[in-house]
Amino acid sequence: MVYKNIICPVCGGSCDDVQVELKDGTIDVQNACKMGNAKFQEVVSSHRLLKPTIRENGKVKDVSWDEALEMSADILANSKRPLFFLGSETSCEAQEVGLHIAEYLGGVADSNATICHGPTVMGIQEAGCVGSTAGQAKNRADMIIYWGVNALESMPRHMSKYGVFPRGYWAKKGRFDRTMVTVDPRKTPTAVASDLHLQLKPNTDYELLSALFTILNGKEPHPSVEEITGIPIPVMKQTIEMMKESNYVGIFVGLGVSSSYGKHRNIEIALNLVKEMNNYTKCNLGALRGHCNVAGFNQLASYLYGYPFGIDFGKGYPRYNPGETTCVDVLREKDVDAAFVMSADLVNHIPADAAKYLADIPMICLDIAPCPSTTASDVVLPGVIDAMECDGTFYRLDNVPVHFEPFTDSPFPETKSNEDTLKQLFAKVKAKKEA
Amino acid sequence: MEALLNTGSTIDEGRLAKGGNKYSEDYKTECAVCWVCAEDFAALGCPEKVKVTSRDGVHSVAVSTKVTESVKSGHVFIPRSIWANVVVEPSTFSTGSPLYKGSPVSVEPTDDVVMDAEEIVLKLYMGEE
Repeated sequence: MVYKNIICPVCGGSCDDVQVELKDGTIDVQNACKMGNAKFQEVVSSHRLLKPTIRENGKVKDVSWDEALEMSADILANSKRPLFFLGSETSCEAQEVGLHIAEYLGGVADSNATICHGPTVMGIQEAGCVGSTAGQAKNRADMIIYWGVNALESMPRHMSKYGVFPRGYWAKKGRFDRTMVTVDPRKTPTAVASDLHLQLKPNTDYELLSALFTILNGKEPHPSVEEITGIPIPVMKQTIEMMKESNYVGIFVGLGVSSSYGKHRNIEIALNLVKEMNNYTKCNLGALRGHCNVAGFNQLASYLYGYPFGIDFGKGYPRYNPGETTCVDVLREKDVDAAFVMSADLVNHIPADAAKYLADIPMICLDIAPCPSTTASDVVLPGVIDAMECDGTFYRLDNVPVHFEPFTDSPFPETKSNEDTLKQLFAKVKAKKEA
Repeated sequence: MEALLNTGSTIDEGRLAKGGNKYSEDYKTECAVCWVCAEDFAALGCPEKVKVTSRDGVHSVAVSTKVTESVKSGHVFIPRSIWANVVVEPSTFSTGSPLYKGSPVSVEPTDDVVMDAEEIVLKLYMGEE
């Protein structure tokens, strides 16, 4: 049977037009990109994690679901300050249960945003955000700027689905109606496909944005900005003129802005530039988010606890202080004594000091395939694949909630979804704490 | 050679990571690679492998080299992966996010073996020999 309009559970694009056909032991996927197709193949892959395991005396052995959940509950209930890293390739419903366990135990809850667009969220808190849905840019934008993001390789369908190529209501000729600019220190495939590439020096985004802001305000930037950024001032002026002359400018930022020197201040000044640009034309800024539900954690944590990521429940109420209550910092400073990592290969993606400490402390990992985090874990709980094997909610890159339906069932009789697994775990943790 | 390290996605890094193949040879071939420009490659003596060391000198990792026109002199790129993150600057500047873009590193030729992802976890992070 062919299933249509399946949501892709990979990058922040959360594409909603994937078509799949399950056959005997194979899956045929249409419309997904290379990354999406690879994830859909996990439903039938030979390396899928299908049995819970625990590490005992250095040896890994298969155990029953009940034994794995018991050991997980023991680790969490005996921890003074557990870290809950609630990854972004699972549903808001699962993340919500994880947040409640963290609150109950007085732990720290965080998600991929903290090592992704966390500084972007902080920049928005500083400056506010002229935002829009992805459809606005698709229908209206005649100038697209990719700043610090290699969209062709990190969100492969963004250019064809939302950004550059689609025919929009006011951009009827698609690519021919649009000017495309890339700002990146690397000559990426996205930069090669652009009309203009500003190949700035690494870590000079703030200086370049500041100079553009100065030009927009009718002033001359200091000549040293050419040497600092590597971009000639006439090119900066040309860029500002192109923006002012456009009907709608869609700016999409990536980690090149939020993860280089300047961090959230880069985003703050970019958003202030966007606000100012709205005196001349319509302009908005959005983040190309790396995971299908990384925006969802920010939304969920904000409406449940008031803060978008890095929430510390240690004092009995939620606290948020990036740099102190965020995942990499609590690990680097050895401020937690156990960890629960769900649907995110944290060991693979954090710096060595933090990864080494994470491997030292008792860790529970919920995932679908072998990876550095499962290797370093004391307990591994097999994951259910959202949008394929269970239903739930993602928030897309533009913070639009997307409800997804499965096309097959969980392969595990013991659990229907990661939300279900976490609810079972929470019940065991409560039973141990209240015994 | 002192350089600024940029890390980020490549399409095959994404394909292999999302497909659960982080322990495959293909993943190592794609990600355990330091991209340098021709000028820096020549200055390093055209090595097949380089050792990349973090700014504090504490962490280092051996990776293969790839000559490319996509980066300028003094800049290197390693695809987002465990190899890159061994040497990424862990300070978050009070934001929670490490310096995945623009970390200062040093790069030198090496004959060290390029470890696979599981070896890095077991040897560097879990301390097994």
